[in-house]
Amino acid sequence: MELTRYVSIGQYLPRDSVVHRLDPRTKIGVTTLLMVVIFVIADFTGYGLLAASLVGLFLLAQIPLGYAARGLRPILFLLLLTFVLNLFFSGLREGTPLVRLGPLVITSEALSRAAFISLRLVLLVVATSLFTYTTSPMALTDGMERLLRPFRRIGVPGHELAMMMSIALRFIPTLLEETERIMKAQMARGAEFQRGNLLRRARAMLPILVPLFVSAFRRADELALAMEARAYRGGEGRTRMKELAFAARDAVAWIVSVFATAVLLASRWLGLP
Amino acid sequence: MNRQDLRRLVEIGFAVALVAVLSNIRVYKLPQGGSITAGSLVPIFYIALRWGGKAGLLAGVLAGAVNYILEPFFVHPVQVLLDYPVAFGLLGVAGFFQRSPVIGIIVGGLARFLAHFVSGVVFFAAYAPEGTSPAIYSAVYNGSYMLPEVLISIVLTLLVVRAMERIRPVQPA
Repeated sequence: MELTRYVSIGQYLPRDSVVHRLDPRTKIGVTTLLMVVIFVIADFTGYGLLAASLVGLFLLAQIPLGYAARGLRPILFLLLLTFVLNLFFSGLREGTPLVRLGPLVITSEALSRAAFISLRLVLLVVATSLFTYTTSPMALTDGMERLLRPFRRIGVPGHELAMMMSIALRFIPTLLEETERIMKAQMARGAEFQRGNLLRRARAMLPILVPLFVSAFRRADELALAMEARAYRGGEGRTRMKELAFAARDAVAWIVSVFATAVLLASRWLGLP
Repeated sequence: MNRQDLRRLVEIGFAVALVAVLSNIRVYKLPQGGSITAGSLVPIFYIALRWGGKAGLLAGVLAGAVNYILEPFFVHPVQVLLDYPVAFGLLGVAGFFQRSPVIGIIVGGLARFLAHFVSGVVFFAAYAPEGTSPAIYSAVYNGSYMLPEVLISIVLTLLVVRAMERIRPVQPA
């Protein structure tokens, strides 16, 4: 069993693009606005425009469009299910019946609704995958810490959360390697992982889990000691080597997306064209 | 931040990393998606039983976030919150039952199942036409992998906790 090939964490694709260089807070904000927009838009023209801007953003981020399609793979089954359910059971009897399969009728209305709902799902997945492709887990953690800072007063430990997250992300590759080493060692001693019923397979994990836990928490003790020796005292008054700072590109991204969302909301609820 | 707090912080970080590592080892794959992992929930329960419910909740929420970073599955904003930070966070509830770990793990597992269940209903409410019955489908689908996963977690957590207590007897105050 090879585990180390998963070492590249998550879906981040490092590139040197404007989108990658955006402040993580900007990207979180813009992605949130995109989600609002996706649920507000109610016609195909709107989704067409949105799809075109997403394609533009992928090009700008230097992420090949194939990756947008790849992000859809895990939801393929859901997508199909959604389409079929809406096609046959939406109760939309109006419109011209197109096909008749026994008791099932496909009307033109139902077809357009099924296509619309499926498109919504696709756009949502593609929009969020653009975020994960262009934001490294560390940048995401930094952004999270800053965004949680105002909630400190009501007891949300933003700095601590970010620190734990950084420790986890830093040690995932190390512990993956460790797991692989332990598994090989136990296999050399005759351990079997892939045989027997569920309970037997689960119990077979014990000779892996215990050494792994021992080694992981020994490392934890060492790290805690090292941090203490360097006088780590939590987030209060801590300085950082790289401060997050908004740049001109962030301003542009905010203005464009807030403006586009506002125009859309206005046209939807004030009845503007 | 005193020594005890720092230790808890670092241990939670490592537990979250362990969850990510262990969920890469799939013991059993279910035909309809969803899989049973090699006790990937054990680190959360270990932290919860060692440091209490609050630490368990923190470990769970972060494990959910890391899980999302590793394998994002995003079909609805509410679904993401429920399926990742909330579902995993609720596992930490086990820490409020430090005296009876088995009950704690069952309650935590049940709470996580409820989060996935509601998220399934939300998904259907958003994407399926009215008149379909999402509750049963969501219960069957989520129950199919949660039930064995929780059973495995009970067995493995008890064994691991017992082994760890022998090797690492220092109990937090």
